[in-house]
Amino acid sequence: MDSLIAASARALAAGDALGALKRVALRDDPPALALRGIAMAQLGEHPRARELLRRAARGFGAHEELARARCVVAEAEVAMAMRDFGVSPRALAAAADTLDAHADRANAMQARLIAARRLLLLGRLEAATAALAPLDARELSPSLAAVAELTAAELALRSLRIVPARSALARAHEAATRARVPALLAEVAEARAALERPAARRLIAGGEQALRLDEVAALLASDALVIDACRRGVGTGEAWRPLARRPVLFALARALAEAWPGDVDRETLIAVAFNTRRPDETHRARLRVEIGRLRALVAAQAGIEASARGFALRPRDARDVVVLAPPIDGEQASLVALLSDGAAWSTSALALALGASQRTVQRALADLETGGRVRSIGRARAQRWLAPPLAGFTTILLLPAALPIE
Amino acid sequence: MNNTATRKKDKMQAVPRAAEIVREYGPFGGAANVHGVTHDGQRVWAATGAKLVGFDPASGEATRTLDCVCDAGTAFDGTYLYQIAEARIDKIDPASGKVLASIPTPGQGSDSGLTWAEGSLWLGQYRDRKIHQIDPVSGAVLRTIESNRFVTGVTWVDGELWHGTWEGDESELRRIDPADGAVLERLEMPRGAGVSGLESDGADLFYCGGGGSGKVRAVRRPRAGKS
Repeated sequence: MDSLIAASARALAAGDALGALKRVALRDDPPALALRGIAMAQLGEHPRARELLRRAARGFGAHEELARARCVVAEAEVAMAMRDFGVSPRALAAAADTLDAHADRANAMQARLIAARRLLLLGRLEAATAALAPLDARELSPSLAAVAELTAAELALRSLRIVPARSALARAHEAATRARVPALLAEVAEARAALERPAARRLIAGGEQALRLDEVAALLASDALVIDACRRGVGTGEAWRPLARRPVLFALARALAEAWPGDVDRETLIAVAFNTRRPDETHRARLRVEIGRLRALVAAQAGIEASARGFALRPRDARDVVVLAPPIDGEQASLVALLSDGAAWSTSALALALGASQRTVQRALADLETGGRVRSIGRARAQRWLAPPLAGFTTILLLPAALPIE
Repeated sequence: MNNTATRKKDKMQAVPRAAEIVREYGPFGGAANVHGVTHDGQRVWAATGAKLVGFDPASGEATRTLDCVCDAGTAFDGTYLYQIAEARIDKIDPASGKVLASIPTPGQGSDSGLTWAEGSLWLGQYRDRKIHQIDPVSGAVLRTIESNRFVTGVTWVDGELWHGTWEGDESELRRIDPADGAVLERLEMPRGAGVSGLESDGADLFYCGGGGSGKVRAVRRPRAGKS
C-alpha cells in the first residue's frame, strides 16, 4: 500500500525473499512486520517468522481486521510447520470467519484447511474429517486443493478406505501438477508409494505372505475371521472388536488362530496369555475364565471348543481364519503398526496393548522417534504418540496466499 | 449536536455520501495491482508495479506502456511524470520512459500518494496520516498537513485538496482544509473498493487506483451548489 511495502511484496511474489526483506528490514509498522514474517518463514526461520507475524497481527488497527486475520492464518501455518500445537484453535476459527465476512474466500479456505490438518496431526481423526468435509476442493487454488486432497487421502488411509484414498491421491496429483509445485508433486508421489509398500504379513501354515494396504483392506472386508496383530483386534468385516485394551484375550485369540484348524494345549495358552512357564491350578482356572470371555466376544463368528489337551477355534459357516502381523517382527514394528491408525496413543495404552512394560515401550518409542518413524505431542503425562503423516505436507508453507497486503 | 467540547476536526467532520462510480478500467495486461494514478490531459497513467500503463479514458484501451519501477503514487507536471519507486521519486520523460532525476522520499518508502500542484509535489505518507508539500528538485519538505486517516492518494483540483483513504475495508475520498486538515467533504467508496492513488482530470472526474483489484475507477466529483 505504500511504496516499499509494494516493492517488497513484488519481490516476495517473485520468490525473492531476501529482496523482500531488504526493503522492509528496518521497519516496524504492521504491514512491514507481516512481510518480514512471511519472508522469514520462506527462508525457514520459523520461530522468528512467528514472532513477527504475531506482532504484525497485534499492530493492525480496528479498521484492519482483514489484514489481522491474514496474519493469524499465516502464523497458524508457521506454528504447524514447527509442530507447535499449543496455540488456540479458536483464534484461527475466528480469523476464518472474519475472512469470510470480508469475502476473502481463498484465505478463509486456507484457514479452515490448516485447522483440519492440525486436527489430523493431533490424531483427532473424526474432528479432522468433520473439519475437512465442508471444504470444496473446486473452490481452492491448485496448491491448496492438492493439500486438501492429500489430507483427505491420509484420513481415508488411516481408516483403510483404500478406494477413496486412491481417488483423493489421483486428484491431489492432478492439482499438484496444475500448481507446478515440485515439493507437492513429491509429496503425492510419496503417499502413492506408501500404498504399494508391504503393510502387513499374512501368517499361513509354514510361512507368510506380504500384503499391501489394499490387500489388507480386502481381507478385512472379506468374511474371513481376521485376528489382526497390527491393530490388535478380532473380527469379520463390520463386526470388529478392538482388543488393544485386553491383551490377554488378544494373545489367546492369536495363539488359537495360529494353530487353526488344530488345537492348542493349555500349557502353551497359559504361557502366552499369562507370561509364565510354571502353570499351577490358579492359572488353569484363570484360563477357563478368559477363554469364556473370548468365547462370548467372538460368539457370532466362531466357537471355541475344548479338546482333550486344550482348546481349538471353530469358525462358523466354514470361514477361513487369518492372522495378520506387522510387516516385520519386533517391538518397534508392533508399535508402528498400532500407531498406523493415526490416532494419538499414550505410552501406557501402547504398553497395555502390547503386553509390555511402559519402560520397554518408552525405550522403543525413543528409538523410533530418533529415526523419525513416530512423533509425539505434549509433555509428561499428557504426552501422546502418533505415526508420522504418510504425506509430509505439513512442512510446506503456502503462505503467499495469505499476504496481508491489499 | 452542540457539544462545545468537540474538537474542531470532529465538529467539521462532514457527513459521508456514497461515491458515484462512473466507470471501471482494467486490470491492465495481467497486472495484479494499481498503486498510483495520474492524468496527463489525454491519458490516464496507472502504476502497476513494474509497468506504467497509459490508457485512453474514453476507450479504456492501453495506448502506451513504460517499463519502470512504480510502487506507489504517480504525478504529472505538464511535461514529466513523477513516480514513487521504493524510497525515491523518479522524474520520468513520458516520451522515452527514461528516468531523468531522482529525489529521496520524505517517508523513506512509507509513501503512497503523489500529485503536482503550484510548482510543488504533494505526497501522502500512508500510515503516518500525513500529506507533505515537497520541493520537486531537492525533495525538501516545505509543509506538512495532518489527516486523521491513512493517506493513499492526493490531488488538487480547483483549489480543493482531496485525498484518498483506505483503512482495512473502508475507503473514502476526502476533501480537507489545507490549512488545518479539517475534513470538509467525504465520498464513501463501496465496501471492498479500496483507493490506492487519486487524480482529478481537472473537470468532473476523479480517477482512483483500485489496489489489489488491478482496476482504475472513475468517480464523479461533486460540485459546489449541486450534489
